[in-house]
Amino acid sequence: MDDFALGVLTNIGLFSFLALSAYLLLVAGEMSFGQQAFFGIGAYAGGMLTALYGWPLPLAALAAMALGGLAQLLVGLPTLRLRGLTFAMATLAAAEMFRILFELFHWRVERGGELAGPDGTQGFRGIRWIFEHGIEPADYLLLVYALLAAVLALLLWMERSRLGAALRGVGLDPELAASVGIDVRRVKLGVAAAAGALAALGGVLFAHHNTYVEPRNFDIMLGVHSLAYALIGGLGTALGPLLGVALDIGLLESTQYFHGYRMIVFGGLVAVLLVFRPRGLLDERMVTWIRQRFS
Amino acid sequence: MLADLVQNSLDGLAAGAAYALLALGFTLIFGVLRRANLSYGPAIMFGCYAAALTHQHFGAGLFMLALVTIAGAVLAGAYVERLCFAPHREGSAIAAMVASFALWMQFEELAALVLPGHLYAFPMLHEGAPLALGAFTFRIDALVLLAVAILVCASLWWMLYRSRFGLAVRAVIEQPTAASLAGINVPRVLVRVFALASAIGGVAGYLVVASNGQITPMLGMWATLKGLLAMMLGGLGSLPGAVLGGLALGLIEAHSQWYLGPQMRDLIAYLLLFVLLAARVPWMTSRSAS
Repeated sequence: MDDFALGVLTNIGLFSFLALSAYLLLVAGEMSFGQQAFFGIGAYAGGMLTALYGWPLPLAALAAMALGGLAQLLVGLPTLRLRGLTFAMATLAAAEMFRILFELFHWRVERGGELAGPDGTQGFRGIRWIFEHGIEPADYLLLVYALLAAVLALLLWMERSRLGAALRGVGLDPELAASVGIDVRRVKLGVAAAAGALAALGGVLFAHHNTYVEPRNFDIMLGVHSLAYALIGGLGTALGPLLGVALDIGLLESTQYFHGYRMIVFGGLVAVLLVFRPRGLLDERMVTWIRQRFS
Repeated sequence: MLADLVQNSLDGLAAGAAYALLALGFTLIFGVLRRANLSYGPAIMFGCYAAALTHQHFGAGLFMLALVTIAGAVLAGAYVERLCFAPHREGSAIAAMVASFALWMQFEELAALVLPGHLYAFPMLHEGAPLALGAFTFRIDALVLLAVAILVCASLWWMLYRSRFGLAVRAVIEQPTAASLAGINVPRVLVRVFALASAIGGVAGYLVVASNGQITPMLGMWATLKGLLAMMLGGLGSLPGAVLGGLALGLIEAHSQWYLGPQMRDLIAYLLLFVLLAARVPWMTSRSAS
Protein backbone atom coordinates (compact mmCIF):
# COMPACT_ATOMS: atom_id res chain seq x y z
CA MET A 1 0.00 0.00 0.00
CA ASP A 2 1.33 3.48 -0.77
CA ASP A 3 1.65 6.24 1.80
CA PHE A 4 -1.38 8.09 0.50
CA ALA A 5 -3.70 5.10 0.94
CA LEU A 6 -2.21 4.44 4.38
CA GLY A 7 -2.85 8.05 5.36
CA VAL A 8 -6.45 7.95 4.16
CA LEU A 9 -7.18 4.69 5.97
CA THR A 10 -5.54 5.94 9.15
CA ASN A 11 -7.63 9.12 9.01
CA ILE A 12 -10.82 7.09 8.59
CA GLY A 13 -9.88 5.16 11.72
CA LEU A 14 -9.00 8.29 13.71
CA PHE A 15 -12.13 10.21 12.95
CA SER A 16 -14.25 7.12 13.62
CA PHE A 17 -13.51 7.56 17.32
CA LEU A 18 -14.88 11.08 17.16
CA ALA A 19 -17.93 9.99 15.16
CA LEU A 20 -18.56 7.22 17.70
CA SER A 21 -18.50 9.73 20.53
CA ALA A 22 -21.13 11.85 18.75
CA TYR A 23 -23.09 8.66 18.04
CA LEU A 24 -23.17 7.59 21.70
CA LEU A 25 -24.69 10.92 22.69
CA LEU A 26 -27.18 10.84 19.81
CA VAL A 27 -28.35 7.38 20.87
CA ALA A 28 -28.84 8.77 24.38
CA GLY A 29 -30.97 11.52 22.83
CA GLU A 30 -28.51 14.40 23.03
CA MET A 31 -27.04 16.31 20.12
CA SER A 32 -23.58 17.71 20.81
CA PHE A 33 -21.90 20.43 18.75
CA GLY A 34 -18.84 20.15 20.95
CA GLN A 35 -17.13 16.77 20.60
CA GLN A 36 -14.19 18.45 18.84
CA ALA A 37 -13.16 19.94 22.21
CA PHE A 38 -12.52 16.54 23.79
CA PHE A 39 -10.74 15.38 20.64
CA GLY A 40 -8.57 18.48 21.07
CA ILE A 41 -7.99 17.84 24.79
CA GLY A 42 -6.85 14.34 23.91
CA ALA A 43 -4.53 15.62 21.19
CA TYR A 44 -2.92 18.26 23.41
CA ALA A 45 -2.70 16.14 26.56
CA GLY A 46 -1.43 13.02 24.78
CA GLY A 47 1.02 15.00 22.69
CA MET A 48 2.41 16.87 25.68
CA LEU A 49 2.88 13.73 27.73
CA THR A 50 4.88 11.90 25.03
CA ALA A 51 6.71 14.82 23.43
CA LEU A 52 7.50 16.90 26.52
CA TYR A 53 7.63 14.41 29.36
CA GLY A 54 8.72 11.22 27.63
CA TRP A 55 5.72 9.12 28.57
CA PRO A 56 5.11 6.00 26.46
CA LEU A 57 2.19 6.42 24.08
CA PRO A 58 -0.14 3.83 25.68
CA LEU A 59 0.17 5.46 29.09
CA ALA A 60 -0.27 8.94 27.60
CA ALA A 61 -3.36 7.75 25.73
CA LEU A 62 -4.91 6.39 28.93
CA ALA A 63 -4.24 9.63 30.78
CA ALA A 64 -5.64 11.67 27.89
CA MET A 65 -8.77 9.50 27.81
CA ALA A 66 -9.27 10.02 31.54
CA LEU A 67 -8.88 13.76 31.07
CA GLY A 68 -11.26 13.83 28.08
CA GLY A 69 -13.86 11.81 29.98
CA LEU A 70 -13.52 14.04 33.02
CA ALA A 71 -13.81 17.19 30.91
CA GLN A 72 -16.99 16.02 29.23
CA LEU A 73 -18.39 14.91 32.57
CA LEU A 74 -17.76 18.39 33.96
CA VAL A 75 -19.40 20.01 30.92
CA GLY A 76 -22.25 17.52 31.14
CA LEU A 77 -23.01 17.97 34.85
CA PRO A 78 -24.67 21.38 34.50
CA THR A 79 -25.92 20.94 30.92
CA LEU A 80 -27.28 17.43 30.46
CA ARG A 81 -30.67 18.47 31.77
CA LEU A 82 -31.03 20.80 28.79
CA ARG A 83 -32.79 19.43 25.74
CA GLY A 84 -32.40 19.76 22.02
CA LEU A 85 -30.93 22.97 20.69
CA THR A 86 -30.17 24.41 24.14
CA PHE A 87 -27.92 21.44 24.92
CA ALA A 88 -26.30 21.66 21.50
CA MET A 89 -25.56 25.36 22.00
CA ALA A 90 -24.21 24.78 25.51
CA THR A 91 -21.78 22.17 24.17
CA LEU A 92 -20.84 24.50 21.31
CA ALA A 93 -20.14 27.31 23.79
CA ALA A 94 -18.00 24.96 25.90
CA ALA A 95 -16.09 23.70 22.86
CA GLU A 96 -15.39 27.19 21.55
CA MET A 97 -14.12 28.16 25.02
CA PHE A 98 -11.73 25.21 24.92
CA ARG A 99 -10.57 26.20 21.42
CA ILE A 100 -9.85 29.76 22.58
CA LEU A 101 -8.07 28.38 25.65
CA PHE A 102 -5.87 26.32 23.29
CA GLU A 103 -5.10 29.61 21.51
CA LEU A 104 -4.08 31.19 24.80
CA PHE A 105 -2.18 28.11 25.98
CA HIS A 106 1.61 28.44 25.96
CA TRP A 107 3.58 25.66 27.62
CA ARG A 108 7.10 25.75 26.26
CA VAL A 109 9.56 23.24 27.69
CA GLU A 110 13.18 22.69 26.71
CA ARG A 111 13.62 19.36 24.97
CA GLY A 112 16.93 18.45 23.30
CA GLY A 113 18.19 22.03 23.29
CA GLU A 114 15.04 23.44 21.72
CA LEU A 115 11.82 24.84 23.05
CA ALA A 116 8.91 22.51 22.40
CA GLY A 117 5.26 22.39 23.36
CA PRO A 118 2.00 24.19 22.66
CA ASP A 119 2.59 27.75 21.49
CA GLY A 120 -0.83 29.38 21.31
CA THR A 121 -2.10 30.01 17.80
CA GLN A 122 1.27 28.83 16.44
CA GLY A 123 0.19 25.32 17.34
CA PHE A 124 2.09 22.41 18.82
CA ARG A 125 4.82 20.82 16.71
CA GLY A 126 7.04 17.81 17.06
CA ILE A 127 4.76 15.12 18.45
CA ARG A 128 7.11 12.49 17.10
CA TRP A 129 6.76 9.53 19.44
CA ILE A 130 5.87 7.01 16.73
CA PHE A 131 8.84 8.05 14.58
CA GLU A 132 11.25 8.04 17.49
CA HIS A 133 10.13 4.53 18.31
CA GLY A 134 10.46 3.26 14.75
CA ILE A 135 6.78 2.60 14.22
CA GLU A 136 6.10 2.36 10.48
CA PRO A 137 2.92 3.95 9.01
CA ALA A 138 1.54 0.48 8.30
CA ASP A 139 2.08 -0.56 11.93
CA TYR A 140 0.40 2.60 13.15
CA LEU A 141 -2.55 1.86 10.89
CA LEU A 142 -2.82 -1.58 12.48
CA LEU A 143 -2.64 -0.06 15.95
CA VAL A 144 -5.43 2.42 15.16
CA TYR A 145 -7.68 -0.29 13.74
CA ALA A 146 -6.93 -2.72 16.57
CA LEU A 147 -8.03 -0.07 19.05
CA LEU A 148 -11.07 0.73 16.93
CA ALA A 149 -12.00 -2.95 16.76
CA ALA A 150 -11.70 -3.23 20.53
CA VAL A 151 -13.90 -0.16 21.06
CA LEU A 152 -16.43 -1.46 18.53
CA ALA A 153 -16.55 -4.90 20.13
CA LEU A 154 -17.20 -3.24 23.48
CA LEU A 155 -19.92 -1.01 22.03
CA LEU A 156 -21.63 -3.81 20.11
CA TRP A 157 -21.60 -5.98 23.22
CA MET A 158 -22.93 -3.09 25.27
CA GLU A 159 -25.76 -2.49 22.80
CA ARG A 160 -27.02 -6.03 23.19
CA SER A 161 -26.88 -5.84 26.98
CA ARG A 162 -29.34 -4.36 29.46
CA LEU A 163 -27.23 -1.21 29.52
CA GLY A 164 -27.72 -0.76 25.77
CA ALA A 165 -31.47 -1.14 26.15
CA ALA A 166 -31.41 1.44 28.95
CA LEU A 167 -29.39 3.77 26.73
CA ARG A 168 -31.84 3.57 23.82
CA GLY A 169 -34.74 3.92 26.24
CA VAL A 170 -33.28 7.13 27.62
CA GLY A 171 -32.74 8.43 24.09
CA LEU A 172 -36.23 7.62 22.82
CA ASP A 173 -38.28 8.66 25.82
CA PRO A 174 -36.56 9.77 29.03
CA GLU A 175 -39.81 10.03 31.02
CA LEU A 176 -40.80 6.48 30.10
CA ALA A 177 -37.28 5.23 30.85
CA ALA A 178 -37.40 6.87 34.28
CA SER A 179 -40.80 5.32 34.96
CA VAL A 180 -39.41 1.80 34.48
CA GLY A 181 -36.65 2.47 36.96
CA ILE A 182 -33.77 3.65 34.78
CA ASP A 183 -31.67 6.36 36.41
CA VAL A 184 -31.71 8.74 33.41
CA ARG A 185 -29.22 11.20 34.84
CA ARG A 186 -26.68 8.52 35.69
CA VAL A 187 -26.98 6.93 32.24
CA LYS A 188 -26.47 10.30 30.57
CA LEU A 189 -23.48 11.22 32.72
CA GLY A 190 -21.96 7.82 32.02
CA VAL A 191 -22.49 8.29 28.31
CA ALA A 192 -20.93 11.76 28.50
CA ALA A 193 -17.81 10.42 30.23
CA ALA A 194 -17.50 7.57 27.71
CA ALA A 195 -18.01 9.93 24.77
CA GLY A 196 -15.36 12.32 26.10
CA ALA A 197 -12.88 9.49 26.59
CA LEU A 198 -13.53 8.10 23.08
CA ALA A 199 -13.09 11.51 21.47
CA ALA A 200 -9.88 12.04 23.46
CA LEU A 201 -8.51 8.67 22.28
CA GLY A 202 -9.15 9.74 18.70
CA GLY A 203 -7.38 13.02 19.47
CA VAL A 204 -4.26 11.31 20.87
CA LEU A 205 -4.01 9.11 17.78
CA PHE A 206 -4.63 12.13 15.52
CA ALA A 207 -1.88 14.17 17.18
CA HIS A 208 0.67 11.35 16.86
CA HIS A 209 -0.29 10.65 13.26
CA ASN A 210 -0.04 14.31 12.25
CA THR A 211 2.89 15.25 14.57
CA TYR A 212 1.40 18.76 14.59
CA VAL A 213 -1.84 20.17 15.96
CA GLU A 214 -3.20 23.71 16.19
CA PRO A 215 -6.31 25.20 17.83
CA ARG A 216 -7.96 25.66 14.45
CA ASN A 217 -8.11 21.85 14.02
CA PHE A 218 -10.72 21.73 16.76
CA ASP A 219 -13.32 24.22 15.55
CA ILE A 220 -17.06 23.79 15.09
CA MET A 221 -16.57 22.36 11.58
CA LEU A 222 -14.99 19.22 13.02
CA GLY A 223 -17.74 18.87 15.62
CA VAL A 224 -20.61 19.14 13.18
CA HIS A 225 -18.81 16.83 10.76
CA SER A 226 -18.66 14.13 13.42
CA LEU A 227 -22.34 14.62 14.12
CA ALA A 228 -23.06 14.31 10.40
CA TYR A 229 -20.92 11.14 10.14
CA ALA A 230 -22.91 9.50 12.91
CA LEU A 231 -26.24 10.48 11.39
CA ILE A 232 -25.41 9.56 7.77
CA GLY A 233 -24.00 6.18 8.73
CA GLY A 234 -26.99 5.41 10.89
CA LEU A 235 -28.09 5.39 14.50
CA GLY A 236 -29.03 1.70 14.54
CA THR A 237 -25.58 0.28 15.28
CA ALA A 238 -22.11 1.39 16.32
CA LEU A 239 -20.96 0.39 12.81
CA GLY A 240 -23.02 3.27 11.38
CA PRO A 241 -20.62 6.11 12.25
CA LEU A 242 -17.76 4.18 10.62
CA LEU A 243 -19.73 3.96 7.42
CA GLY A 244 -20.34 7.72 7.58
CA VAL A 245 -16.63 8.49 8.01
CA ALA A 246 -15.63 6.01 5.30
CA LEU A 247 -18.12 7.53 2.84
CA ASP A 248 -16.82 11.06 3.32
CA ILE A 249 -13.07 10.62 3.80
CA GLY A 250 -12.66 7.37 1.91
CA LEU A 251 -14.91 7.84 -1.06
CA LEU A 252 -14.80 11.57 -1.64
CA GLU A 253 -11.79 13.20 -0.05
CA SER A 254 -9.35 10.60 -1.29
CA THR A 255 -10.65 10.12 -4.81
CA GLN A 256 -10.01 12.78 -7.40
CA TYR A 257 -13.37 12.36 -9.15
CA PHE A 258 -14.98 15.41 -7.63
CA HIS A 259 -11.91 17.54 -7.22
CA GLY A 260 -13.04 21.04 -6.28
CA TYR A 261 -16.67 19.98 -6.14
CA ARG A 262 -16.38 17.45 -3.34
CA MET A 263 -18.42 19.28 -0.75
CA ILE A 264 -21.05 20.28 -3.29
CA VAL A 265 -21.53 16.61 -4.21
CA PHE A 266 -21.27 15.34 -0.65
CA GLY A 267 -23.47 18.05 0.84
CA GLY A 268 -26.21 17.41 -1.71
CA LEU A 269 -25.99 13.64 -1.23
CA VAL A 270 -26.28 13.96 2.54
CA ALA A 271 -29.30 16.26 2.37
CA VAL A 272 -31.09 13.97 -0.11
CA LEU A 273 -30.14 10.85 1.84
CA LEU A 274 -31.60 12.31 5.04
CA VAL A 275 -34.90 12.98 3.27
CA PHE A 276 -35.29 9.25 2.73
CA ARG A 277 -33.42 7.94 5.74
CA PRO A 278 -33.63 10.51 8.57
CA ARG A 279 -31.83 8.17 11.00
CA GLY A 280 -29.09 7.25 8.53
CA LEU A 281 -28.24 4.32 6.28
CA LEU A 282 -27.88 1.75 9.05
CA ASP A 283 -30.92 2.80 11.08
CA GLU A 284 -32.71 0.60 13.60
CA ARG A 285 -35.04 -0.91 11.00
CA MET A 286 -32.19 -1.76 8.64
CA VAL A 287 -30.17 -3.33 11.46
CA THR A 288 -33.12 -5.48 12.52
CA TRP A 289 -33.69 -6.54 8.92
CA ILE A 290 -30.02 -7.52 8.46
CA ARG A 291 -30.04 -9.42 11.76
CA GLN A 292 -33.09 -11.42 10.72
CA ARG A 293 -31.45 -12.28 7.43
CA PHE A 294 -28.23 -13.56 8.90
CA SER A 295 -29.33 -15.32 12.05
CA MET B 1 -12.15 56.62 30.60
CA LEU B 2 -15.76 57.61 30.40
CA ALA B 3 -15.24 58.72 26.83
CA ASP B 4 -13.97 55.22 25.95
CA LEU B 5 -16.96 53.68 27.63
CA VAL B 6 -19.39 55.79 25.65
CA GLN B 7 -17.51 55.39 22.37
CA ASN B 8 -17.30 51.61 22.80
CA SER B 9 -20.98 51.43 23.62
CA LEU B 10 -21.78 53.32 20.41
CA ASP B 11 -19.63 50.94 18.35
CA GLY B 12 -21.09 47.98 20.21
CA LEU B 13 -24.62 49.08 19.46
CA ALA B 14 -23.88 49.25 15.74
CA ALA B 15 -22.43 45.73 15.73
CA GLY B 16 -25.29 44.65 17.96
CA ALA B 17 -27.81 45.97 15.45
CA ALA B 18 -26.41 43.57 12.84
CA TYR B 19 -26.47 40.70 15.35
CA ALA B 20 -30.06 41.60 16.24
CA LEU B 21 -31.11 41.29 12.60
CA LEU B 22 -29.38 37.91 12.28
CA ALA B 23 -30.98 36.73 15.52
CA LEU B 24 -34.40 37.90 14.31
CA GLY B 25 -34.07 35.75 11.20
CA PHE B 26 -32.99 32.72 13.24
CA THR B 27 -35.80 33.26 15.73
CA LEU B 28 -38.48 33.60 13.03
CA ILE B 29 -37.41 30.29 11.51
CA PHE B 30 -37.07 28.62 14.90
CA GLY B 31 -40.41 30.00 16.02
CA VAL B 32 -42.42 28.46 13.21
CA LEU B 33 -40.34 25.35 12.51
CA ARG B 34 -38.84 24.53 15.94
CA ARG B 35 -35.62 23.82 14.09
CA ALA B 36 -32.32 25.65 13.84
CA ASN B 37 -31.17 26.47 10.33
CA LEU B 38 -27.37 26.12 10.37
CA SER B 39 -27.30 27.19 6.72
CA TYR B 40 -28.75 30.59 7.58
CA GLY B 41 -25.39 32.35 7.55
CA PRO B 42 -24.08 30.53 4.46
CA ALA B 43 -27.27 31.42 2.54
CA ILE B 44 -26.62 35.08 3.44
CA MET B 45 -23.04 34.62 2.24
CA PHE B 46 -24.42 33.28 -1.05
CA GLY B 47 -26.33 36.55 -1.48
CA CYS B 48 -23.25 38.62 -0.65
CA TYR B 49 -21.11 36.66 -3.11
CA ALA B 50 -23.75 37.14 -5.80
CA ALA B 51 -23.53 40.88 -5.12
CA ALA B 52 -19.72 40.82 -5.18
CA LEU B 53 -19.81 39.05 -8.58
CA THR B 54 -22.38 41.53 -9.89
CA HIS B 55 -20.13 44.35 -8.78
CA GLN B 56 -17.09 42.83 -10.50
CA HIS B 57 -18.85 42.22 -13.80
CA PHE B 58 -21.30 45.09 -14.05
CA GLY B 59 -20.08 47.61 -11.48
CA ALA B 60 -23.60 48.06 -10.13
CA GLY B 61 -24.47 50.75 -7.59
CA LEU B 62 -25.03 50.35 -3.86
CA PHE B 63 -28.79 50.05 -4.02
CA MET B 64 -28.62 47.47 -6.81
CA LEU B 65 -26.05 45.44 -4.84
CA ALA B 66 -28.31 45.48 -1.77
CA LEU B 67 -31.16 44.12 -3.90
CA VAL B 68 -28.94 41.41 -5.40
CA THR B 69 -27.76 40.39 -1.91
CA ILE B 70 -31.30 40.11 -0.59
CA ALA B 71 -32.54 38.25 -3.69
CA GLY B 72 -29.57 35.87 -3.49
CA ALA B 73 -30.17 35.20 0.21
CA VAL B 74 -33.87 34.50 -0.41
CA LEU B 75 -33.07 32.21 -3.34
CA ALA B 76 -30.50 30.27 -1.31
CA GLY B 77 -32.94 30.20 1.61
CA ALA B 78 -35.62 28.69 -0.61
CA TYR B 79 -33.20 25.95 -1.66
CA VAL B 80 -32.40 25.21 2.00
CA GLU B 81 -36.07 25.18 2.94
CA ARG B 82 -37.03 22.76 0.15
CA LEU B 83 -34.20 20.33 0.77
CA CYS B 84 -33.74 20.47 4.55
CA PHE B 85 -36.92 21.64 6.22
CA ALA B 86 -39.92 20.80 4.05
CA PRO B 87 -39.13 17.04 4.08
CA HIS B 88 -38.53 16.95 7.87
CA ARG B 89 -41.49 19.04 8.96
CA GLU B 90 -43.04 16.23 10.97
CA GLY B 91 -39.86 14.24 11.44
CA SER B 92 -36.47 14.53 13.02
CA ALA B 93 -35.13 17.94 14.09
CA ILE B 94 -31.61 16.52 14.15
CA ALA B 95 -31.88 15.28 10.57
CA ALA B 96 -33.08 18.72 9.44
CA MET B 97 -30.20 20.40 11.23
CA VAL B 98 -27.57 18.04 9.84
CA ALA B 99 -29.05 18.45 6.34
CA SER B 100 -28.78 22.23 6.72
CA PHE B 101 -25.16 21.74 7.73
CA ALA B 102 -24.58 19.67 4.59
CA LEU B 103 -25.85 22.56 2.46
CA TRP B 104 -23.60 24.93 4.42
CA MET B 105 -20.68 22.89 3.05
CA GLN B 106 -22.10 23.32 -0.43
CA PHE B 107 -22.35 27.10 -0.09
CA GLU B 108 -18.79 27.32 1.23
CA GLU B 109 -17.36 25.34 -1.65
CA LEU B 110 -19.45 27.28 -4.15
CA ALA B 111 -18.05 30.53 -2.74
CA ALA B 112 -14.52 29.16 -3.11
CA LEU B 113 -15.26 28.15 -6.71
CA VAL B 114 -16.66 31.47 -7.95
CA LEU B 115 -14.22 33.71 -6.05
CA PRO B 116 -11.18 31.57 -5.26
CA GLY B 117 -9.19 34.25 -3.42
CA HIS B 118 -9.47 34.63 0.33
CA LEU B 119 -10.61 38.22 0.40
CA TYR B 120 -12.45 40.46 -2.05
CA ALA B 121 -13.16 44.16 -1.84
CA PHE B 122 -16.80 45.14 -1.58
CA PRO B 123 -18.04 48.70 -2.28
CA MET B 124 -18.22 50.62 0.97
CA LEU B 125 -21.46 52.15 2.14
CA HIS B 126 -19.59 55.31 2.99
CA GLU B 127 -16.01 56.32 2.45
CA GLY B 128 -14.36 59.19 4.19
CA ALA B 129 -14.16 60.58 7.67
CA PRO B 130 -16.61 59.57 10.38
CA LEU B 131 -18.98 62.16 11.78
CA ALA B 132 -17.41 63.94 14.75
CA LEU B 133 -19.64 65.16 17.53
CA GLY B 134 -17.69 66.61 20.40
CA ALA B 135 -15.34 63.96 21.72
CA PHE B 136 -17.14 61.14 19.96
CA THR B 137 -17.10 59.88 16.41
CA PHE B 138 -19.93 58.21 14.59
CA ARG B 139 -19.17 56.03 11.63
CA ILE B 140 -21.70 56.89 8.94
CA ASP B 141 -22.11 53.23 7.97
CA ALA B 142 -22.78 52.34 11.61
CA LEU B 143 -25.51 54.98 11.72
CA VAL B 144 -27.03 53.57 8.52
CA LEU B 145 -26.89 50.08 10.03
CA LEU B 146 -28.67 51.24 13.18
CA ALA B 147 -31.30 53.15 11.23
CA VAL B 148 -32.01 50.21 8.90
CA ALA B 149 -32.17 47.81 11.83
CA ILE B 150 -34.74 50.03 13.58
CA LEU B 151 -36.72 50.28 10.35
CA VAL B 152 -36.67 46.49 9.86
CA CYS B 153 -37.76 45.87 13.46
CA ALA B 154 -40.60 48.39 13.16
CA SER B 155 -41.86 46.92 9.88
CA LEU B 156 -41.59 43.40 11.27
CA TRP B 157 -43.52 44.42 14.37
CA TRP B 158 -46.21 45.99 12.19
CA MET B 159 -46.34 42.93 9.95
CA LEU B 160 -46.61 40.48 12.83
CA TYR B 161 -49.00 42.37 15.09
CA ARG B 162 -51.09 44.42 12.68
CA SER B 163 -51.59 42.32 9.55
CA ARG B 164 -53.54 39.17 8.76
CA PHE B 165 -50.34 37.43 7.70
CA GLY B 166 -48.83 38.27 11.10
CA LEU B 167 -51.83 36.84 12.88
CA ALA B 168 -51.40 33.60 10.92
CA VAL B 169 -47.68 33.51 11.76
CA ARG B 170 -48.31 34.01 15.46
CA ALA B 171 -50.99 31.35 15.39
CA VAL B 172 -48.57 28.88 13.79
CA ILE B 173 -45.89 29.74 16.37
CA GLU B 174 -48.28 29.27 19.29
CA GLN B 175 -50.21 26.22 18.18
CA PRO B 176 -49.64 24.78 14.67
CA THR B 177 -52.40 22.19 14.91
CA ALA B 178 -55.02 24.68 16.02
CA ALA B 179 -53.84 27.10 13.34
CA SER B 180 -54.29 24.43 10.72
CA LEU B 181 -57.76 23.58 12.02
CA ALA B 182 -58.68 27.26 11.88
CA GLY B 183 -58.07 27.18 8.15
CA ILE B 184 -54.55 28.60 8.03
CA ASN B 185 -52.43 27.11 5.28
CA VAL B 186 -49.53 26.20 7.58
CA PRO B 187 -47.00 25.06 4.93
CA ARG B 188 -47.52 28.30 3.03
CA VAL B 189 -46.98 30.37 6.17
CA LEU B 190 -43.78 28.42 6.88
CA VAL B 191 -42.40 29.08 3.40
CA ARG B 192 -43.20 32.78 3.62
CA VAL B 193 -41.65 33.13 7.06
CA PHE B 194 -38.56 31.38 5.76
CA ALA B 195 -38.38 33.83 2.84
CA LEU B 196 -38.93 36.77 5.19
CA ALA B 197 -36.18 35.58 7.52
CA SER B 198 -33.81 35.08 4.58
CA ALA B 199 -34.54 38.61 3.34
CA ILE B 200 -33.79 40.06 6.79
CA GLY B 201 -30.58 38.04 6.79
CA GLY B 202 -29.76 39.45 3.36
CA VAL B 203 -30.20 43.01 4.68
CA ALA B 204 -27.93 42.25 7.64
CA GLY B 205 -25.34 40.55 5.42
CA TYR B 206 -25.26 43.42 2.94
CA LEU B 207 -24.86 46.04 5.68
CA VAL B 208 -22.07 44.12 7.40
CA VAL B 209 -20.14 43.42 4.19
CA ALA B 210 -20.59 46.99 2.92
CA SER B 211 -19.46 48.42 6.28
CA ASN B 212 -16.36 46.22 6.31
CA GLY B 213 -15.63 46.89 2.64
CA GLN B 214 -14.59 43.28 2.13
CA ILE B 215 -15.93 39.76 1.86
CA THR B 216 -14.36 36.45 2.90
CA PRO B 217 -15.62 32.85 2.95
CA MET B 218 -15.72 33.10 6.76
CA LEU B 219 -18.88 35.20 6.48
CA GLY B 220 -21.20 32.18 6.51
CA MET B 221 -19.85 30.68 9.71
CA TRP B 222 -19.63 34.12 11.31
CA ALA B 223 -23.28 34.94 10.58
CA THR B 224 -24.53 31.56 11.77
CA LEU B 225 -22.52 31.62 15.00
CA LYS B 226 -23.32 35.23 15.89
CA GLY B 227 -26.99 34.79 15.02
CA LEU B 228 -27.29 31.62 17.10
CA LEU B 229 -25.43 33.21 20.01
CA ALA B 230 -27.59 36.34 19.99
CA MET B 231 -30.78 34.29 19.64
CA MET B 232 -29.85 32.05 22.58
CA LEU B 233 -28.78 34.99 24.78
CA GLY B 234 -32.13 36.67 24.26
CA GLY B 235 -34.13 33.57 24.99
CA LEU B 236 -34.85 30.97 22.35
CA GLY B 237 -37.96 31.77 20.37
CA SER B 238 -38.68 35.33 21.49
CA LEU B 239 -38.50 38.13 18.88
CA PRO B 240 -37.97 41.04 21.33
CA GLY B 241 -35.46 38.76 23.05
CA ALA B 242 -33.59 38.31 19.76
CA VAL B 243 -33.20 42.09 19.38
CA LEU B 244 -32.08 42.50 22.99
CA GLY B 245 -29.77 39.49 22.71
CA GLY B 246 -28.16 40.97 19.61
CA LEU B 247 -27.63 44.39 21.17
CA ALA B 248 -26.32 42.83 24.38
CA LEU B 249 -23.88 40.66 22.41
CA GLY B 250 -22.65 43.72 20.49
CA LEU B 251 -22.10 45.72 23.68
CA ILE B 252 -20.41 42.88 25.54
CA GLU B 253 -18.10 42.21 22.61
CA ALA B 254 -17.18 45.87 22.14
CA HIS B 255 -16.26 46.36 25.79
CA SER B 256 -14.45 43.09 26.30
CA GLN B 257 -12.46 43.60 23.09
CA TRP B 258 -11.43 47.07 24.22
CA TYR B 259 -10.35 46.05 27.70
CA LEU B 260 -9.20 42.47 27.18
CA GLY B 261 -8.48 41.86 23.48
CA PRO B 262 -10.17 39.88 20.70
CA GLN B 263 -9.60 36.36 22.08
CA MET B 264 -11.08 37.26 25.43
CA ARG B 265 -13.98 38.93 23.59
CA ASP B 266 -15.07 35.62 22.10
CA LEU B 267 -14.25 33.69 25.26
CA ILE B 268 -16.45 35.97 27.36
CA ALA B 269 -19.39 35.76 24.94
CA TYR B 270 -19.30 31.95 24.99
CA LEU B 271 -18.71 31.81 28.73
CA LEU B 272 -21.74 34.02 29.30
CA LEU B 273 -23.90 31.82 27.09
CA PHE B 274 -22.67 28.66 28.80
CA VAL B 275 -23.24 29.99 32.31
CA LEU B 276 -26.70 31.33 31.47
CA LEU B 277 -27.71 28.02 29.89
CA ALA B 278 -26.25 25.95 32.71
CA ALA B 279 -27.98 28.13 35.29
CA ARG B 280 -31.20 27.64 33.32
CA VAL B 281 -32.23 31.27 33.69
CA PRO B 282 -35.99 31.37 33.15
CA TRP B 283 -36.08 33.41 29.95
CA MET B 284 -33.71 31.04 28.18
CA THR B 285 -35.30 27.68 28.75
CA SER B 286 -38.99 28.51 28.84
CA ARG B 287 -39.59 27.81 25.15
CA SER B 288 -36.77 25.47 24.40
CA ALA B 289 -38.70 22.42 23.22
CA SER B 290 -36.75 20.95 20.34
